[in-house]
Amino acid sequence: MAMYINGTGCISHQNTIDVDAFFERSHIDCLPLLVAQEPDYKDYVPANMLRRMSHIIKMGVAAAKISLQQAGLENVDAIITGTGLGCFEDTDKFLKTLIENNEQLLTPTSFIQSTHNTVAGQIALLIKCHNYNFTYTQQGLSFESVLIDANMFLNENKSSNVLVGGLDEAIQPYYDLLVKAGHIKKQEDIITEIEKNKTHGFCLGEGASFFVLSNQKNKTTKAQIKGVKTFTSIKGADDLQAKLNNFLLEIDLSINNLSLVLSGNSGDFEDDKTLNQSNKIFFSKTDIACFKTLCGEYFTASAFALWLASTIIEKQKVPKALIHGYNGKQELKNILIINQYRNTEYSFMCVSSC
Amino acid sequence: MVFVTGIGIISAIGKNVSETLSSLLESRTGIGKINHLQTIHKDNYVAGEVNYSLQELENLAELKNSNYNRTTLLSLLATKEALTSASIKDISSHRTGFISASSVGGMCHSELLYKDFLEHKLYKNFIDTHYTGSHAADVAKHFGITDYITTISTACSSAANAIMLGARLINNNILDRVIVGGTDALCKFTFNGFNTLMILDKEWCKPFDNNRKGLNLGEGAAYLVLESESVVKAENKKTLAILSGYGNANDAFHQTASSPDGQGAYAAIQKALEVANLSPNKIDYVNAHGTGTANNDSSEAAAMQNIFKESIPPFSSTKAFTGHTLAAAASIEAVITILSIQQNTIFPNLNCSTPMQDTPLFPITSLQKNVELNHVLSNSFGFGGNCSSLIFSKN
Repeated sequence: MAMYINGTGCISHQNTIDVDAFFERSHIDCLPLLVAQEPDYKDYVPANMLRRMSHIIKMGVAAAKISLQQAGLENVDAIITGTGLGCFEDTDKFLKTLIENNEQLLTPTSFIQSTHNTVAGQIALLIKCHNYNFTYTQQGLSFESVLIDANMFLNENKSSNVLVGGLDEAIQPYYDLLVKAGHIKKQEDIITEIEKNKTHGFCLGEGASFFVLSNQKNKTTKAQIKGVKTFTSIKGADDLQAKLNNFLLEIDLSINNLSLVLSGNSGDFEDDKTLNQSNKIFFSKTDIACFKTLCGEYFTASAFALWLASTIIEKQKVPKALIHGYNGKQELKNILIINQYRNTEYSFMCVSSC
Repeated sequence: MVFVTGIGIISAIGKNVSETLSSLLESRTGIGKINHLQTIHKDNYVAGEVNYSLQELENLAELKNSNYNRTTLLSLLATKEALTSASIKDISSHRTGFISASSVGGMCHSELLYKDFLEHKLYKNFIDTHYTGSHAADVAKHFGITDYITTISTACSSAANAIMLGARLINNNILDRVIVGGTDALCKFTFNGFNTLMILDKEWCKPFDNNRKGLNLGEGAAYLVLESESVVKAENKKTLAILSGYGNANDAFHQTASSPDGQGAYAAIQKALEVANLSPNKIDYVNAHGTGTANNDSSEAAAMQNIFKESIPPFSSTKAFTGHTLAAAASIEAVITILSIQQNTIFPNLNCSTPMQDTPLFPITSLQKNVELNHVLSNSFGFGGNCSSLIFSKN
């Protein structure tokens, strides 16, 4: 597998639109809800389309446009998106009205924008792309499903460009439901060193991270994706380490080749237990950082991690908020991302310089 | 080459393959009075309900206190039948995946419990099973499938994309065997959604009829077991059909409406023919998307005319049997298509009598037996411009 990242666009809790600002000013916010810093969407979407768009559609379409601009492309051979939650704002709006009005006096706008494929469809509509169009929704593996598909697509179609994205929104009604369900960390329990948590719950985040992937390297290439792997049955830290070993073998790397590991600790001490145990042993000599302190926990947070890894490799620097004591001397060549969602869905991704 | 070695189905016309086949052969629709869905519209509309309560579905699945919602139970039942039909006993003997499709996921539960939450501040933990992908995680876990699990949600074309993805994972040597399909339960959310779009027919839907008034909603699930050529050879397996072609394209015309000339549909069919390496005249029958809405049927007819020119193959929509089962539709119709191939039979397009004014196309309206069906095309289109086509061929 070699997928070149030729353009990226990211909207997240940090200022990821302005990359220089991101490196200078990114910081850890100790808040249970980490909402996205949004750009002026008028820069990316025609005003007449913007008016009807919900939060997730705006984030997705803008991040897609930014990544296309960076790659210098007007159109692509495929659009593939992943979202765990889908278009919750429109779903919630339609469902609430349905309940409040007892199934009467409903209007269709929020219903027609509630389907998970709305963002991929809106991007296709905006750039007039009649090609391959897919949307995945497998909870914490939604974005990884996208990458596995993109890799097959690039194998099947030589010299093509694929627009991929992972996106989820954290709107208030969803946050309220997660609080009720006991999934959100209490404000007083939130600490900056996420791996040292001894309490339940996570801080909810949101964002849209898009990428133009190609089997062709060119002048806009930032990094390459060497491998992606998903798991739904990790049985403890030993098993996780065995799977990591296999993965590194498959992509022809050893632990010594890794410049940095981005670990997907959610902050929930139970869910992170396996990951923490494995990290402590497996990466005892490797720089490791927990990326969800910057973006929060959400189904497609691994797409933010991919943006982070490719940006670190492109710029050859690591934001201070992410890792303390990084000496900055070593060349940043290979970054391994390990993600977990609720200790049931795990994934590995490797991003390398090229 | 990718083979179909097993099928499983549950819908308004039967809880398994044999009941489904009987209904099809007897031209017996499953669309009727609404019994299970608690909507205020229940006496004014018809729908294709699976005629079992949640408890009865759980009993059929031989489960107790599973806490699974309707979408998950439908998925589990059809998957179980597909695995049995493919004589799979040891899931771990090959690299096996589970690819499902759904548009509503846990909405059938959420919409009931959210009401309690909003009105009475009662909260039962429904958000964890609300996610569209959670049924796939549960069903895969139930059958011990771990090598690859995903869910596709591209509205009414979802299951076609699940089937297509499964074939590609086998062709790319990532999996040896994959269970592919879709599931959707009827719920007030989708019922009212389609109602606000004013595309529900209050009576039996009439696909491809000039006086068609809209679609009938249905529910159900269907799955196929796809296996690689090497597994089929090594185990000397009985095969039901070959999945020979697949294509996916986007209409990029409107969020919900299809383009008048069916550009996306045309592109999806064209790609499926290319993958199957077939010319259009090799297609012996088309199981159409044919929802019964004015817009879809005209657009699909235009696309078929552009592909097949003067020699349009026989076609029919079987949605007047099952109702439109949304994300499950393409897999339900894939199972029906495979039954057509096996039985050399074209199942009729019910309720159609008046030819459409804007096209010379007219569907097959009565059961046709002893028709040699070597290659059959099945179409599925959805919101967001998503269009997908599949081609199944005789062994």
